[in-house]
Amino acid sequence: MNAPQTALLLIGSPKSKESSSESLGTYLFEELAARGVRTQTIKLVKALHSAEATEELRAAVAASDLIVLSFPLYVDSLPAPTMLALEQISAWAASTSADGGEAPATGHRPAFVAICQSGFPEVVQNEIAIEICRNFAAAAGFEWAGGLILAAGGMVGGQPLRKIKGMMRSAVSALDLTADALAAGTPLPDEAVARMAKPAFPRAGYRFMANWGWRSQLKKDGDGTPLDAQPFA
Amino acid sequence: MNASLPGAALLLDGRRDDETTLTLAHDALVNGLAGAGWTVDDWRLRDDKIAWCAGCFKCWTTTPGVCVHHDDGREVAARWVRSDLAVLLTPVTFGGYSSELKKALDHVIPSLLPTMLRRGGETHHPQRYAQRRDLLVVGTVPAGQADGPEARTFRRLVERNKLNMEPPRSACGVLEQGANEWEVRVAVSALLARIGVKAAQERADSAREGAVA
Repeated sequence: MNAPQTALLLIGSPKSKESSSESLGTYLFEELAARGVRTQTIKLVKALHSAEATEELRAAVAASDLIVLSFPLYVDSLPAPTMLALEQISAWAASTSADGGEAPATGHRPAFVAICQSGFPEVVQNEIAIEICRNFAAAAGFEWAGGLILAAGGMVGGQPLRKIKGMMRSAVSALDLTADALAAGTPLPDEAVARMAKPAFPRAGYRFMANWGWRSQLKKDGDGTPLDAQPFA
Repeated sequence: MNASLPGAALLLDGRRDDETTLTLAHDALVNGLAGAGWTVDDWRLRDDKIAWCAGCFKCWTTTPGVCVHHDDGREVAARWVRSDLAVLLTPVTFGGYSSELKKALDHVIPSLLPTMLRRGGETHHPQRYAQRRDLLVVGTVPAGQADGPEARTFRRLVERNKLNMEPPRSACGVLEQGANEWEVRVAVSALLARIGVKAAQERADSAREGAVA
C-alpha cells in the first residue's frame, strides 16, 4: 500500500447520533488529517437514502486511496444498511473492472480498514464481522490493511474520544498508532490491534455496570412494562 | 417443542434476486417442511419494507420486547418468537448474510433481554422467552467455493449465532450455485433430517418402531 493522499471514513452505524462507531472513526480521521491526509466522512445510512447520495458515495470510493469502515456489531455481523453498502460497492468495483473502467483495472486499489465495536466485553464476539470485511475487501479488489476490534464499546457511549481519553487511553493509543501506520502507507501494526483489544474495564465489573445501566434506563424511559416482559408469548 | 413433531417454521428468505440454486433451495425447503406436516411462514423479505434497526435499544428500555417503530420490523420479532424453527436462506455475502436477510435478522434483538450474563466463558444476553426454536441456515456460494474463505466465514458466523440464539438443534448448509434440482433436494433433505424434520411416513414408521420396542 502507498501513503494515502485521500481517505474516506464510512460510518456503518444506523444511529443518527451518539454513535460509538462514529466516535472511533472520527478520532482516527482527525489524526490522519493532522498527518496531512485529505479526509472525507460519509454516513452509510444517509448515503443509501437517495440515488444522488449513493452516487456521491460511489464517487468518494473511487477517489479514495484509503477507506475505513467503522461499525457496530449487529447480531454477530454488520448492520443491514452496512451490508447493503458493501454489496453495492463490490458490484461497482466488479462492473468498472469488467468495463475496463477506472477501478481496479488502472490500479486504483484503495487500502481498506475495518473497525468493529460492540457492547460485549469480549473481542472474540466481533471477529467474524472483521472476517466479513476482509472477504469484502477481496471481493471488491481492495487491499486489506487490517481490522481493529473494540470490546465493551458501551464505555464510549457515543462521546468524542478526546472527551473521555483517560478511560479509553488504550483505544486512543491504538488509533494513534493506526494513524501513524496508515499515513505512512503501511498496514495496521499488531501492536495497534492488541492495544485496541485490551479491556478498559474488568469483564465482571462491566457486566454489573451494564446491567445496572439497562435497568436505570428502563426506569427513566420505560412505559411501565417490566424489563423481562414477553409481549409475544 | 420437539422439532420431530410438525410445528411452525419461519422461513426468512433473503434472496436478492431469482438465482437458480437459491430458488431451488427455497422450494425444497418449503416442500420438505410442508410435506412433513409443518406450517411454513414463507417470508420473501425483498417484497417488504422493513426499516433498518436504528440501534436505539428502545425495544429494551422503553417498550421491552417490542420495537418502538411501527412497521414490519415489529413483525419480525413476533413471528420469530412464535416459531418452532427459524430457517435463514441467503446468498453467502462476503461470508455473511445478504442485506435483505440482515434487515430482518437485526430485528430479533427484542427477543433477548438487555442484561448480560456469563455463559461458556463469554458474555451473552439471556433469552426473553423460554421457548427456543431450532435453526436451519442455508447459503449459496459460486461453483467451486463450498470450502472457500466466504463459506468458511459463513459457517463460523452460524456457530456464533448459535451461541447467542441457543437453538436446541441446528444445521448449516452451503450449496454451490449450479447444483441441479436433485442435488439441492438431497442436500436440503439431509439438512432437514439433521434438525429432526421427518416426513409423515418416516414419523409413522418411527412411532410404530417405538410402539413395538
